[in-house]
Amino acid sequence: MQESAYFKNYNPTPGTWDEMYGSDSKIRDHYQKVIQYLNRESIDDLNKKEDLAKRLFMSQGITFTVYNSGEGIEKIFPFDIIPRIITGDEWTFVEKGIKQRLHVLNLFLKDVYSNQFIIKDGIVPIDIIYSCPHFLREMCNVEVPYDIYVHIAGIDLIRDFDGTFYVLEDNLRTPSGVSYMLENREITKRLFPDLLPQCGVRSVTEYPNILYKNLLSLSPRQIPHPVIVLLSPGIYNSAYFEHTTLARLMGVELVEGRDLVVNNSKVYMKTTTGLQQVDVIYRRVDDEFLDPLEFNPSSILGISGIMGAYRKGNVAIVNAVGNGVADDKAIYSYVPDMIRYYLNEEPILKNVPTFQLGNPEEKEYVFANINKMVVKRTNGSGGYGMLMGHAASEAETEEYKAEILKNPRDFIAQPTISLSAAPCYMQGLLTPRRIDLRPYALCGPDGIEIVPGGLTRVALREGSLVVNSSQGGGSKDTWVLL
Amino acid sequence: MLSRVASSLYWMSRYIERSDGILRMLKINYASSQDTVQKFTWEPVVRIFAGVPDEDVEVLEHDSRAVLKYMVLDRENPNSILNIITQARENARSVQEHIPKDLWQCLNEYYHAVRDPKLNYWLEKDDPITALDILIKQGMLYYGTVEITMERGEARSYMNIGHALERSIQSVDILDTKFGSIDDNPDLLTDTTYWKHLLLSLGGYEIYLKTYRSKGFEAENVLEQVIFNTEFPRSVIYSVKHIEIYFERLKSESNMDEFRELSFLIGRLQSSIRYSSVKTIYEEGLHEYLTNIRSELFKIGNKLNEHYFAFQ
Repeated sequence: MQESAYFKNYNPTPGTWDEMYGSDSKIRDHYQKVIQYLNRESIDDLNKKEDLAKRLFMSQGITFTVYNSGEGIEKIFPFDIIPRIITGDEWTFVEKGIKQRLHVLNLFLKDVYSNQFIIKDGIVPIDIIYSCPHFLREMCNVEVPYDIYVHIAGIDLIRDFDGTFYVLEDNLRTPSGVSYMLENREITKRLFPDLLPQCGVRSVTEYPNILYKNLLSLSPRQIPHPVIVLLSPGIYNSAYFEHTTLARLMGVELVEGRDLVVNNSKVYMKTTTGLQQVDVIYRRVDDEFLDPLEFNPSSILGISGIMGAYRKGNVAIVNAVGNGVADDKAIYSYVPDMIRYYLNEEPILKNVPTFQLGNPEEKEYVFANINKMVVKRTNGSGGYGMLMGHAASEAETEEYKAEILKNPRDFIAQPTISLSAAPCYMQGLLTPRRIDLRPYALCGPDGIEIVPGGLTRVALREGSLVVNSSQGGGSKDTWVLL
Repeated sequence: MLSRVASSLYWMSRYIERSDGILRMLKINYASSQDTVQKFTWEPVVRIFAGVPDEDVEVLEHDSRAVLKYMVLDRENPNSILNIITQARENARSVQEHIPKDLWQCLNEYYHAVRDPKLNYWLEKDDPITALDILIKQGMLYYGTVEITMERGEARSYMNIGHALERSIQSVDILDTKFGSIDDNPDLLTDTTYWKHLLLSLGGYEIYLKTYRSKGFEAENVLEQVIFNTEFPRSVIYSVKHIEIYFERLKSESNMDEFRELSFLIGRLQSSIRYSSVKTIYEEGLHEYLTNIRSELFKIGNKLNEHYFAFQ
């Protein structure tokens, strides 16, 4: 089978976990059926599939707009047609680990915004909390329904050379990408007819229904049809496609800040027949822009007075405001301790070892070993403002060090983890590329549910370890087998 | 329904209707420019749809290719098909969860079709009808998709009002311009191809033949059909009737005063058309009559905006 045309140049990267090839250079069992299927197709067929995928994305408007010299250019997020496959056992483990972690992060947020036992007991230092720009005093002692702060989490997982899963980031604010999980699956159904049922791939279509059920349960008014809205920054937001997809799939109204108004501590939307009270807001607007009266006063994306309504319990906001304190990169390293503290359990999913540059000893160590490190800003995201020690030039490193010294608390460092690799279809060949995994966990009053799947992001540039879409990343359909 | 959503649906619909009107007009005029021994003039088309200053009209008026490019692809022309379809799609994009997915895809494909580089080639060097037909077909796909998939509710009412309003304004404008040209050139009054092209560009040629078969092409009959024929889907009375039908469906307890005010305006306009005839129009003066209808239509548009779409 390995003689097949697609495999001529498939050389698993040494020191890297390859999702398809086992250590004995054999194709792992869970990839067999897909590979057999591919072997029956010609290069021409696969190229056609790739074209079909592009056309489907384009015609459905699954695009983002790049504004260049005043004119919008439609682009699609690169999509690789070969699915990433996860076995049932691997998934059971990941699912358990994420549930444990999300449970604890919710407990932590409740604690940190009320009694702060975890600080008093010396588990998490007080200065690291209060120096975090996402810790919002405005949220202290605010009651949120069922004490749930994180209703939707997109926890990023990576796999080291031996296949061990590590948590890279907890995205607890407004994690995005779930529409790509759903759309990638729809496209794959068209590309590989009959293959999904043959392989026993579990369905992800329940996601919007579970989310809707959870949103419904949060309504402060006990009425037959609570009003649920999805708050978007508007059509110029790069995730706008996702906002419309989710609103459509859940059958809820998609609103912008200008559609809402607060009166008498209640939130209303402006309709053709007058004002209508809103009960639950699934917002995709960041905390900072949510309420110009309390946060960024120049925000036009938010609604004046919405925090007042929230504090009075007249409206539920999803995710809760102030969650950034729990997914801050400096606080991240305390999550294993939190799990031990709140649950008296050992963490199931490992953290990537993290050095706090605010701590002088750790800073010394990182500076001495900087070519083996990835240095990140604690409040950064999207792969911006990172230093990849192994790839940076000396001048870049020195410049970055100077930047760190200005405010060491704003930086953390992690040893370079070599993400696992999966086969991608590129110009008629299967070639390994680095990937990560973002499953979407939903937390409601009945517990935590995770649809079996997620977004697999892939670093399309050869040798690259950065999967962010802003940095040349793409995505794959993610299959979880029975 | 959110006011912003209602407004977007209404404008999406108006833009599509406008593009359809422009494209049909361009197609017929181009065809007739190939079928004339005299120097063909694009002046009425450019005046109705583009609002260009007089000196530019003179530059464009005899250059078919330049007019086509200007009307279809020019980025500087706010009423070019390219710009109109972009607007329609932007409106649709912000209300995607209120329209069927098929409809969004249809508009999205229209948008990509109008940006296809091949259009430019056809318009500039090859057969422009090919390009115009592709775009007209996209518009028809839109109407078919709306008909088959769109929920019969409030959203569709706003779309239909936008569509009927735009259409009635177009018919009034076309009549006003075409009849206005006769003042400068009385020979046109008896020029049968002139009237034939007017009817073709409104898609009213066949219906005219059936109604006035024995009478030939006469200005008065054309006027009668385009204003009063209740079975001609581009007549003014037909469109105004549809504004009324779909507006009545928006009646609700919570905004009776605003509803009554608009309902009154629509009813008054409808009556003033119904209780006039070709004879009374000529007594009053055609231009004055059409100007009055146009200003009433604009008033309806403005009041809709004020009472139903104003959300700032």
